Amino acid sequence: MKKLTVFGASILSAALLFGVEAKAEKANINIFQFKVEIADAFNDLANEYMKENPGVQINIETVGGGSDYGAALRAKMASGNEPEIFNVGGPQDVSDWKDKLADLSGVPVMKDAFPGTLSGVTLDGKVYGIPFDQEGYGFMYNKAIFEKAGINAADINSFDKLEAAVKILDSKKSELGLKAVFAVPGKETWVLGLHFSNVGLANEFANVFDAYNAKTVAFKYSDGMKKLFDLQIKYAKKPVNSVDYSTQVEQLFSLEKVAIMQQGNWTLGAIKGVNPDLATRIAFLPMPIVGGKEDCIPVGTPMYWTVNASKNQKTQDASKAFLNWMYSSDKGKDAIVNKFGFIPPFKGYDSESLQPKDPLAKSIMEFVKAGKTISWVFMGYPTGWGMEIIGVDLQNYIDGKITWDKLVAHDKKSWADSRK
Amino acid sequence: MKYSKKWYWLFVSPVLLAFAITVIIPLISGICYSFTEWNGRMDIIPDFSGLKNYMLAIKDPGFRNAFWFTTTYTVASIILVNAIGFSLALLVTRKLKFSNAMRTIFFMPNLIGGLILGFIWQFIFIGVFEAIGDNYNLPFFQGWLSNESTGFWGLVIILIWQMAGYMMIIYIAALQNIPKELIEAAQIDGASAWRRTLHITIPMVMPAVTISVFLTLANSFKLFDQNLALTNGGPGNSTEMLALNIYKTAFTFSKFGEAQAKAVIFFIIVAIITLVQVFFAKRREVEM
Repeated sequence: MKKLTVFGASILSAALLFGVEAKAEKANINIFQFKVEIADAFNDLANEYMKENPGVQINIETVGGGSDYGAALRAKMASGNEPEIFNVGGPQDVSDWKDKLADLSGVPVMKDAFPGTLSGVTLDGKVYGIPFDQEGYGFMYNKAIFEKAGINAADINSFDKLEAAVKILDSKKSELGLKAVFAVPGKETWVLGLHFSNVGLANEFANVFDAYNAKTVAFKYSDGMKKLFDLQIKYAKKPVNSVDYSTQVEQLFSLEKVAIMQQGNWTLGAIKGVNPDLATRIAFLPMPIVGGKEDCIPVGTPMYWTVNASKNQKTQDASKAFLNWMYSSDKGKDAIVNKFGFIPPFKGYDSESLQPKDPLAKSIMEFVKAGKTISWVFMGYPTGWGMEIIGVDLQNYIDGKITWDKLVAHDKKSWADSRK
Repeated sequence: MKYSKKWYWLFVSPVLLAFAITVIIPLISGICYSFTEWNGRMDIIPDFSGLKNYMLAIKDPGFRNAFWFTTTYTVASIILVNAIGFSLALLVTRKLKFSNAMRTIFFMPNLIGGLILGFIWQFIFIGVFEAIGDNYNLPFFQGWLSNESTGFWGLVIILIWQMAGYMMIIYIAALQNIPKELIEAAQIDGASAWRRTLHITIPMVMPAVTISVFLTLANSFKLFDQNLALTNGGPGNSTEMLALNIYKTAFTFSKFGEAQAKAVIFFIIVAIITLVQVFFAKRREVEM
């Protein structure tokens, strides 16, 4: 009886297998991705690819927002309905999902990757992700205000020069129509705890994996960080802790009530929405750390495409081919730059039509081409450390509740505690 | 007899099943997870770690601060929400011209979800207050939500705005149930309006007070949405309440086991406080 059951079961499973095999002539690629802004353009691009490659069926599912995506991906994986292509954000994700990630170093386009863009997904000589794009932030400034005040922004390449410029702006506040020089969003712990702290710590850790593997953090450039932070706070719109992202970007910077803010190229849409004219005359100043690099801005890759290694080889190859096509074919390149609005993470985007159109992307490309960048290491911080530990402590520092030394001591300790 | 028992279970079982699936089973599995090194992945059985999570939770200064903040917050909001809700009830039962319209208006904030309400008030505190303060040079209106005390009162204000109307409805029902002859008799005996409120109205609405205090207590102790939307615990974790602290432990720091332990402690505290409150308040009620 038992034998019969086993026999029946094997027949059944064989039938199932063949059934699947017969259908699977068309490679089915389910993509689970997180960038809501590109969802429509991405769909169009996938349709284009399916027209050229009738053997491929692509289904795209988009779930927006950083933490939502992580939770949704976990649920998706647990449900057994695993996507063929999904996104990871950096070392923590890579080590969480390592058993699911295929090695992508053989994908042709990867040899053109800009240096540093792959460091977040490279482990033991294998590359597990294809970078989405490059994003950058720094001290974004209002060109017109700088001109009016008689400051040549191109000269600012050190902390002392920045401080001098800030003082000039501060002394001419009323004639320039400014409320303050800086807008610092004290309410946003990601701006303080991830982006600001990164400027100091990217000088200490060579790349994101160094930070991820570090048992301790030394705060080697603590003095430089304090100087840069104090400068911002001293000349910021007060009270700093009640300024949030939209107050900073839309009400203060876009309405030209401040001259400088620490933000990235993702704010362009918001600025355009409020003040389209201003959106054509902005650029980045470096974020100088005394003792470290003083003429660089942090440029990094926030998200990567990965291919699910638990799928069969054929599907994996089809997935890789699609991703490769997206970043290397003419149609793909056009979509990346002109439809998605990405700053390409690969070389070979030289033709005139593929140059970034917006001033922030242009400014970032200038820094990238001059090699004046530091990396994004905050994806390698211990879980929660950036926003909830150093971010929160920076708020307390702004409030005068703790001293800088106490902040450094506390944040060193909690880094070490969580890496035990 | 046998027959009715069958029917009894037949009618009870759908609700019982739903209750078990949504409340009892998660509660039990949650308690189990609190003794393990759980990382949030459902497909892996986590390692047993004994009472470690409970020790970590009790030792966590953030959790203790959140506990004290939540307790003070609860006390302040119970007093203010009920005082204002009761006053509104007295006001709209006065047979004024617009009392029906007023009832609707006072009740309406309760229909808005906590998150949206939090964001609306964030805009009012930061945008509107700031503009008033800047234009008329009133320091009182400047820098709301930028420190602990304004964050605290901001949270109290939005809870009052949201819950006072609801409490008002409960008090109105109680006020309308007071027998007219009692008040008339007191009036004939020459009791002033204040005396009548103090010695007749308030004792007669004690059952409503029990319910209202219970609801405010439970709601403000477990407050989450408004806290997340209005201050997100900031600045510097100074306005972080218990539920938000638990949420962050789990979903920001990925310490799901420790968060579960905190949640179990939280559950026990809420259960004890509310049971004690109901027990004492019940004894003060007047039976007709």
